[in-house]
Amino acid sequence: MIDLDDVEFGHGDGAVLRGFELHVGTGRSVVLLGPSGSGKTSVLRLILGFATPRRGTIRIAGELVSSARTILVPPEERGLGVVFQDLALWPHLTVRDNLTFGLADLAEREQNERIAPLLERLGLRAMERRYPAELSGGERQRVAIARALALEPRAILLDEPLANLDAPLKRELLQLFRELFRERQATVLYVTHSLDEAALGDDIAVLENGKVAQQGSLDELRAAPSSDFIRQLFS
Amino acid sequence: MGGTLRRHQGAIALWIAGAFVAVAALAPLLALVSTTEGLAIWASARSWELLARSLGIAVAVTIVALAIGVPIGVLLGRTDVVGRRAAWLLHAFGMFLPPLLLALGWFHLVGSMLFNAVGLVATLGLAFAPVATSLTALGVMGVDAALEEAARVTARPWRIATRILLPAAWPAVALASIVVSVLAFSELGAPMFLRVDVFPAAVFARLGGVDYAPGEAFALILPVLLLALAVTALERRLIGRRSYAVLGLRGGSRPPLQLGRWRWPLTLACWGIAMLSIAPVAAIALRAGGLSDALRWAETAPYNSIVTAGVAATLIVAVGLVVGHAVARRTRGAAWVDALAVLVFVTPASVLGVGLIAVWNRGATELVYRTLAIVVVGFFARYAIVGVRVVAAVVAQIPIHFEEAAAASGAGYLRRLGRIVLPLGARGVAFAWLLALVFGLRDLETAVLFYPPGGEPLTVRIFTLEANGPERVVASLCLLQALITAGALALGSLLVFRRARA
Repeated sequence: MIDLDDVEFGHGDGAVLRGFELHVGTGRSVVLLGPSGSGKTSVLRLILGFATPRRGTIRIAGELVSSARTILVPPEERGLGVVFQDLALWPHLTVRDNLTFGLADLAEREQNERIAPLLERLGLRAMERRYPAELSGGERQRVAIARALALEPRAILLDEPLANLDAPLKRELLQLFRELFRERQATVLYVTHSLDEAALGDDIAVLENGKVAQQGSLDELRAAPSSDFIRQLFS
Repeated sequence: MGGTLRRHQGAIALWIAGAFVAVAALAPLLALVSTTEGLAIWASARSWELLARSLGIAVAVTIVALAIGVPIGVLLGRTDVVGRRAAWLLHAFGMFLPPLLLALGWFHLVGSMLFNAVGLVATLGLAFAPVATSLTALGVMGVDAALEEAARVTARPWRIATRILLPAAWPAVALASIVVSVLAFSELGAPMFLRVDVFPAAVFARLGGVDYAPGEAFALILPVLLLALAVTALERRLIGRRSYAVLGLRGGSRPPLQLGRWRWPLTLACWGIAMLSIAPVAAIALRAGGLSDALRWAETAPYNSIVTAGVAATLIVAVGLVVGHAVARRTRGAAWVDALAVLVFVTPASVLGVGLIAVWNRGATELVYRTLAIVVVGFFARYAIVGVRVVAAVVAQIPIHFEEAAAASGAGYLRRLGRIVLPLGARGVAFAWLLALVFGLRDLETAVLFYPPGGEPLTVRIFTLEANGPERVVASLCLLQALITAGALALGSLLVFRRARA
């Protein structure tokens, strides 16, 4: 579903990513794990079309969307859902309007049919007329994931969405994410630096020195780490 | 809308906005570059002397304005001076009025001792000090709260102000010095009233006065155009994006710095400056004794002022929304449009005026040149930067993730601009409109060169009557000008600063 091949990206003369390869299969959840500053967010921005690779290609569902120094398909036409670290809920729109914003092409009845099950499933039904400022931290997280899912995207990208939450809430939301992704058989790329969240993925891709150093299940990485860095990470 | 067109909405909008700025602003300047007629005027030492004097006055005015405005700005922006908001409001009001009006007010207060270069520097220094005050205050208010709080643990207020706040807010102070020097150099009404020969007056005299010689007027402004280019380059190098990054009020709310035993003396100092700023307006009001004379003599001038300033402000904000957004988001090409708008603003109004005459005073464009439209074009060209920079400051404060989330949700450029940027920045955009409106209302030096027959704005009416009209009538017209400005500011403030939801 998402394929990055030989991608190079950087700011100025330096390269954050070099010869970067990542493949996320349809219906699979991949966690991109790496320390802060390793380029995880850059990978998401490249896939979303907010950044341009210096070289290499990016494909979504087989379609070439970015190549060297060129955005071929703009973000709004890539069919992706995203949850940002700061959630980026539009503060001037209600929960309902946040969810329906990306459904402007649908009639109101269809919009309702699309968002009603999500509101129900995520426990947001009573809050659909509220503004983001009137919600708790956990409720905002649920609105952000609901907004991404409402689009019925080809894949959903999450950029450390639980980074600033306390441990119990984090556990609760991780469980919710796991269930949601399984129910919807969603293609997911989840970026994090936290090992707690890594278990969310079918696969974990470890980012080291601007490349995916190793990709596999949690058990595979623990059993046969390909570098000292990965061994220490999972020890 | 076709897919290709939809994909390029942003680029097309920027091209259209850039074309507006180019036609209104670049064309007049290019028209001047080809001028060779009348260059002999530069063989005269008198021309160089005039240029040097105007530059000297602009530098002196800038020094006075900064000397008053920077400390007062820090005090009003970040300390517990008593009634600081009210003092700021009173102090700032004068900067929204034409300096000619303030000069007339000071004349009523201190008499003919004002009629020399020192009097001019003092008048303009006080008139433009609120620019330095306001930009400094906004600058120190916008400094990251964490920087200030880290210093508060170890330092007293004066040390925090001088070592943390001011250095962090220096782009705002640098911007203030450029704005003040540009306004001071362009000023026409106050120097002519105070009988001080300055460069813009020489240009004006050659276009509509006793020394009528349009060729010489064209030639006179050529070196000033080079100066404007140099100031633009300086602005790009020293300030550029930093000005609106600092002025964006990132600081958040935090308690003011406690002045302790200095609180009351410094409160008195701030209120003293505020009173000094408003004194000429009070003197005008007393001299006028009401508005009855103004209503008899103003004719269509108030209407001309309000309509031209209102239409220009609307255009400025429409173009500013596109260009300012593009500047804040570093869209390719936006920096060029921004630089062009800066160039026209720092170019003395007399230069722009002469250029506009060269471009528009021809048969094919009579519909513009012979109507109020030419005043709108002039205001738009000169003050387009207000819209661009204010919107850029506003957009810079809106997290880019809001727009990115909208893009990922399928929203194209226009939808993102209309549904995300505009609602989130509505108050800032309204503020840009208000500021552009007031700049248009106070303008004399741009419009005086090309206002159409029967289309003179109120400032021009005051300027022309000041020479020969009854003193009481002139004072009454000035009072009307002050009331229109105060009304616009009050109405605008109600709309802009009313409590935001959530």
